[in-house]
Amino acid sequence: MSTRRTECLATFLALMLGLTLTAHADIPLIDFEAALAAVPVSDVGRAIAAIEVGTGQQDFPSFEMMQYLQRLATTAYSESERESLLVDVFAALEEGLPIDGLITKGLEGLARGVPAVSIHQSLHQRRILLAETRDLLYAKGIFSVAPGSPQSVDTALPTPRFNLLVTHISDTIADSLEGGGSPFEGQMLLQEVRFRLTSLSGAILNPADVELVLKRLEPADLTRVALSAVS
Amino acid sequence: MKSIDLDDVLRAALRQEVAEAAGGLDDLEERIVFELGERRPRLRVGDWLRQLIAPTRSGRIGQLGLVGATAAICLLVGFFAATHFGLDGAAPRIQRASPLNADGTQEVLFVLPALDANEVAVVGNFNSWEPTTLTDEDEDGIWTASIPLPPGRYEYAFVIDGRWWGQDPLADEYVHSFGEYSSVRYIGGGDGA
Repeated sequence: MSTRRTECLATFLALMLGLTLTAHADIPLIDFEAALAAVPVSDVGRAIAAIEVGTGQQDFPSFEMMQYLQRLATTAYSESERESLLVDVFAALEEGLPIDGLITKGLEGLARGVPAVSIHQSLHQRRILLAETRDLLYAKGIFSVAPGSPQSVDTALPTPRFNLLVTHISDTIADSLEGGGSPFEGQMLLQEVRFRLTSLSGAILNPADVELVLKRLEPADLTRVALSAVS
Repeated sequence: MKSIDLDDVLRAALRQEVAEAAGGLDDLEERIVFELGERRPRLRVGDWLRQLIAPTRSGRIGQLGLVGATAAICLLVGFFAATHFGLDGAAPRIQRASPLNADGTQEVLFVLPALDANEVAVVGNFNSWEPTTLTDEDEDGIWTASIPLPPGRYEYAFVIDGRWWGQDPLADEYVHSFGEYSSVRYIGGGDGA
C-alpha cells in the first residue's frame, strides 16, 4: 500500500515537474538549434548562447523567434543575407535588450518580400535605438529590477514593464525616421512618443510608468537618441 | 426801448410757433406706420410664394429662404421617420472592437470594401504577418474578419489579390514601413478603440 502511494506521489511529482518545465521553456533549445542549422548560421554556438540569454527573460518571444528562423530558412535570400538578418537580433539578446520589435519588423520585411538589405538596415537602426533608449531611461533615473524583487523606489520598474517602455519609445523614433522624419525635430518626436505611450496606457503599459517617463523626457533627449541611429 | 419791445414780441411769437409745431409731431411715427399699413396690399398665397422665390435687392435671400424652408421640412420628415420607424438619431458608427472577452481579448473587426476583389486578407503583427482571410458571404464587396486580440498596438495591412494595401480608413494612425504604409490600431487603453 505504502509502495503504491509512493509510486503515485512520484508520478504526480514527475508530471508537475514536466508541466513546470514545459511552461517555463516554451521551445527547447534543441529546436532552436535545428532551426538555426536550416538558415544556416555560421556560429551556431554563439547564436544558441544568445537565445539562451533571451529565454532567461520573462518576456522573451519564443514562438515569434522560432517563426522568424523558420521563415528565414525558406526565403530566396542568399545564405549570407539570411545570416545578416539575425546579426542584430543576437546582438540585442546579448545586450539584454527586448527583441519583440526586431522580430516583428523582420517578419514584416520577409512577408513583404523586400530586399534583405532593407530589412537589415531597419533591424540595425532599431537595435541602436533600443540601446540608446534604454541608456536614456537610465540617465533619467529610471531603472529595471528583476520581477519579484523589492521595488525600493518608484523609478525602479520590473524588467517587463521597463522593456515595454524601451520598446515603444524606440519603435516610435524608428517609425518616425523610417517615415522620413528628421532627428532634429525633438518636439515632434516627443509628441509622437506621448501619443503612443498614452494610447497604450492602461492597456499594456502601466499608467504610472507612462506618467513617470513623460514627465522626465525632453525633446532634446529624443533628438540625441535619434541622431545616434542615423550618424 | 422800442427796439427791445420789438425783440420781445418776436421771441414770444417764435416760442408759440415752435410749441404749435411740436404738438404736430406728437405720435408722428405711429401715424406713419398706421398709414403704411393701410396702404400695404394684402398678399395671397401665390404672391407670398413668388416673393419667397424671387431674388431681392439685398441678394438671394428669397431663394435661400426657400432652401431653408425645404431643409426644415426635410428635417421634420426625417425626425418623424426616425421616431416612428425606429431609426437611431445618432450617425451610424462602425463598431471596431467589442467589449472584452473572458480571456481578456477583444473581437476586433477588420472591414474593407473591395468590389472587384477575389481574395482579401489581413496581415499584421498580431498574426506574425501571415494572412488571415476576410470573407464576403453576401457578395456585396464588403470583406470582413473579426479577430480576437488582447490589448495592444497592432500594425497591419490588407492584401487584396496579392497586393498590399496599408491605408485602412478605420486605422488610428499610419506608419511608413519599408517604403509602404501600414495601418495601426490601438486596442484598449487611453486613446485606443
